[in-house]
Amino acid sequence: MEDLKHIGFVILGILVAFFVVMTLVAYTVLAERRVLGFIQGRLGPNRVGPGGFLQPLADLLKFIFKEDIVPDKSTRFVYFLAPVIATTAALMTIVVYPFGPEINLPILGTLRLVIARFDVALLYVLGVTSVGVYGVALAGWSSNNKYSLMGGLRSAAQMISYELALGLGLIGVILQSGTLELYSIVEQQAGHFGITGWNLIWAQPLGFIIYLIAAIAETNRVPFDLPEAETELVAGFHTEYSAMKFALFFLAEYVNMFTVSMLATTLFLGGWNGPFVHQLPWLGVFYFLGKVILFLFLYIWLRGTLPRFRFDQLMSFGWKFLVPAAIVNIVLTATLQWTPLFDWVSGYLKTATGLWG
Amino acid sequence: MVAILFILFAGLAIGCAISMVAQRNPLYSAISLIGVFIGLACLYVMLAAPFIAAVQVIVYAGAIMVLVVFVIMLLNVEEEERRPLRLRALMPIAVVLAAILFAEAAFIIFFVHASPGTPTTNVSDIGLTSSIGAGLFTSYLLPFEITSLLLLMAIVGAITLARRGGLLPQDAGVVPGDQVFPQELLDRRQVGDLSPVATHSSEEAERLLGVKRTSPNKSG
Repeated sequence: MEDLKHIGFVILGILVAFFVVMTLVAYTVLAERRVLGFIQGRLGPNRVGPGGFLQPLADLLKFIFKEDIVPDKSTRFVYFLAPVIATTAALMTIVVYPFGPEINLPILGTLRLVIARFDVALLYVLGVTSVGVYGVALAGWSSNNKYSLMGGLRSAAQMISYELALGLGLIGVILQSGTLELYSIVEQQAGHFGITGWNLIWAQPLGFIIYLIAAIAETNRVPFDLPEAETELVAGFHTEYSAMKFALFFLAEYVNMFTVSMLATTLFLGGWNGPFVHQLPWLGVFYFLGKVILFLFLYIWLRGTLPRFRFDQLMSFGWKFLVPAAIVNIVLTATLQWTPLFDWVSGYLKTATGLWG
Repeated sequence: MVAILFILFAGLAIGCAISMVAQRNPLYSAISLIGVFIGLACLYVMLAAPFIAAVQVIVYAGAIMVLVVFVIMLLNVEEEERRPLRLRALMPIAVVLAAILFAEAAFIIFFVHASPGTPTTNVSDIGLTSSIGAGLFTSYLLPFEITSLLLLMAIVGAITLARRGGLLPQDAGVVPGDQVFPQELLDRRQVGDLSPVATHSSEEAERLLGVKRTSPNKSG
């Protein structure tokens, strides 16, 4: 009975999280087009519904009803498998993120707003993300198109390089919190007023910057969007994909954006922590999603602002700057953890900020 | 419940392993191998070793196999052709080895597990990250350090191999499109001299190398 209740809760949680993430992703696409329009001095899509509010729905219908063209000489099985891998890997990480604190409900009892709590949640996220590369690489190979192949190869090389920096950038946080379990990491960041404990502020500024840059590269976004550089590769790895298969790649990209933003929020911005969360636990959900949306806006802003890297610049930046910086961060964090200096400094800062907190 | 999951994941692993050996296309073999690693990772989770499972996915499925797929894609390896078996003598040995493997498995299933008094200690924290970390940095420190040294040697070796020859001096002044050869290629007597020579056109390169120029088709 207890088992069944647990399984029911988990399935319900997955459905709710899936629905929330999908909705937000759909509206991220709309927001991206509107914000880019604003940055470029034009309007963007505003015709379907008030302010373009129903545009995602219209896009979805269009994707479903378009003709699905499969290239004649493609490797069929892999060609069909690639978008599935990309989307599955993108969606699988959602289960580990804590969306909010524990909430007491009148009938259901205590509800924890995280679907799965397990020992190696952070490693799980990194592992699933690294499997997602195959979606892009295999799509490029199976299309039997040289632009697609170039896009796939670039993506594989880029993701291997930046995954390293990404993982190393996170080690600082792990060293400090002493756990890989995301819910505990969020709980440790409570601090005064739900703000002062955030890892970003004085614990891991360098790690945060490294993670942010590497995460943008991991999701193939501007300025690291070389796998689909329009000016060089037509559309990169998804040149030959049409209709719903293209939509799946599109979806995977935005879900990936969403999940790296959730990880950044969880590890560096205190997750659901914020003022008055202890009195009103539901506020936590809004704080969490608000912070995630902040990151998504940053992504769109960068896309409207920055030009694209050249491929050799991308590689040398990843290997010669980000990785050494991440190693410096690890050594610094370990040294500060080991010596009492860190406790002293953070204690001082916490009392100083505690005056107003 | 557990049995169903075990059959599912073990079936995935075995099916992918058979497919990996049977496929003629190297990329299909690589994809099957990824399937094997993921199936194994799921089995590790069922054996209460989540850390090993995560590392299995990150290192094997996520890093090593990406490189394998990358190389297959880059070289555009063709489908393997069926060739006559050269080492026919090895086939009976393979049969004997397989028989021994099955005998071992049977021995463990029927004798080791069947024997009474198997200790059923509660080892709930043995596969967790903290216990593995503590073990690595205390009781197994020396093997850990030796492994890291081995990996460092491999990295240094790879870099040395990749850097050998072909490196231009800083002031080479080669424009893109130039062809660059090691001196060694032009003058066989100067063995070991790797200083590069740049040429500015295909004709010059062919003259230097003494290659007979294949005349382009002038018809049409």
